[in-house]
Amino acid sequence: MRKILIGSMLAAAAPMGVAAPESYTLDPHHTFVHFGVDHNGFSTIWGRFDRSSGKFTFDRQAGSVVLEVIVETASVTTGDSARGNRPRSRDEHLRSPDFFNATEFPRMTYKSRNAKLNGDVPVEIQGELTLLGVTRPVTLAVDRWKCAPHPVTRRPICGGNAIGGLKRSEFGMKWGIPATGDDVMIRVTFEALKD
Amino acid sequence: MRKVFLGALVAVMPLAAAAQVESYTIDPIHSFVNFTIDHLGFTTLHGRFDKSTGKATVDRAGRKGTVDLVIEAASVSTGDNDKGSRPRSRDEHLRSADFFNVAEFPRISFKGNVKFSGDGANEVEGQVTLLGVTKPVVFKMDRWKCGAHPFSKKEMCGGTASGKIKRTEFGMKYGVPAIGDEITLTMGFEAYKD
Repeated sequence: MRKILIGSMLAAAAPMGVAAPESYTLDPHHTFVHFGVDHNGFSTIWGRFDRSSGKFTFDRQAGSVVLEVIVETASVTTGDSARGNRPRSRDEHLRSPDFFNATEFPRMTYKSRNAKLNGDVPVEIQGELTLLGVTRPVTLAVDRWKCAPHPVTRRPICGGNAIGGLKRSEFGMKWGIPATGDDVMIRVTFEALKD
Repeated sequence: MRKVFLGALVAVMPLAAAAQVESYTIDPIHSFVNFTIDHLGFTTLHGRFDKSTGKATVDRAGRKGTVDLVIEAASVSTGDNDKGSRPRSRDEHLRSADFFNVAEFPRISFKGNVKFSGDGANEVEGQVTLLGVTKPVVFKMDRWKCGAHPFSKKEMCGGTASGKIKRTEFGMKYGVPAIGDEITLTMGFEAYKD
């Protein structure tokens, strides 16, 4: 029904070249927020949040993207989940009040109403991240973007990658700085299905 | 046997030279092999192997070294490990015969020679064995540092290295080209001096 409605809207709008705003829902199996942080000046530790959800509205004509993503902080994983004979694993430590404080702040959110487009391709998302109850601006550069029908299901999808960075101390996450870096690299990979 | 042989070799070398070859054990809690692969031309899927072990040697005067790494194939993790109402999760699929075939090939191994340039290691040339097939691969060292751990003061080396392989060359053909053939490997590692 919805598809028919959108289809008829598009058909009516087509002669004027006007496209309706399209709404998309992020596919949680193909959408992940990754982060990288310096460890003691020796190496880079990468982590990932396994559970996130979100939606965005893409209006090609107005050149706007309105986006909201929710990340489950307890789903953080860095490959060290089994404590063995240690008091805790690194992932357990990351969920503790020293870092993500997942009990008190189970979700972090990213919201944006400002995107820069190059033609009809978003190239930069200017948004606000709320982490540990603190809201700060975080800009993501979209370094990959494609909208097309899914090759198997034929359903319209948009997917891509985006990168950015933040200083975790600005959100009040200060444990271990500077041995465990303050600068956090962010890499988001996503696919979203058209509603 | 190999260790005994190496030990004997080191013993007969002149003292000064013997001191130059340092042996390291990779810290599995701070060493991970990550990979990325194209998904349908839309996005880049990231994965990680959670369990690996290894040894390395560093000959600072000789400006060379070796790496010997073993990765547990079943420890592959891409953030999709809960099948829900589906027949299987992506991680389960990756462990199946379509991809890593972990029942038959529980380990992926890498043996390489470290090359130095300037202040440190800058390249590792070696052989990766995956699904029983051995092929050459070159890793570029993006980060490299040896020194004392800031708290324990134990001598260590750490860094990050990246390289590319084509999975079809190892017989892993499922889903190509919708799921990319080229895999970018990025490893972050720390190793303690023995």
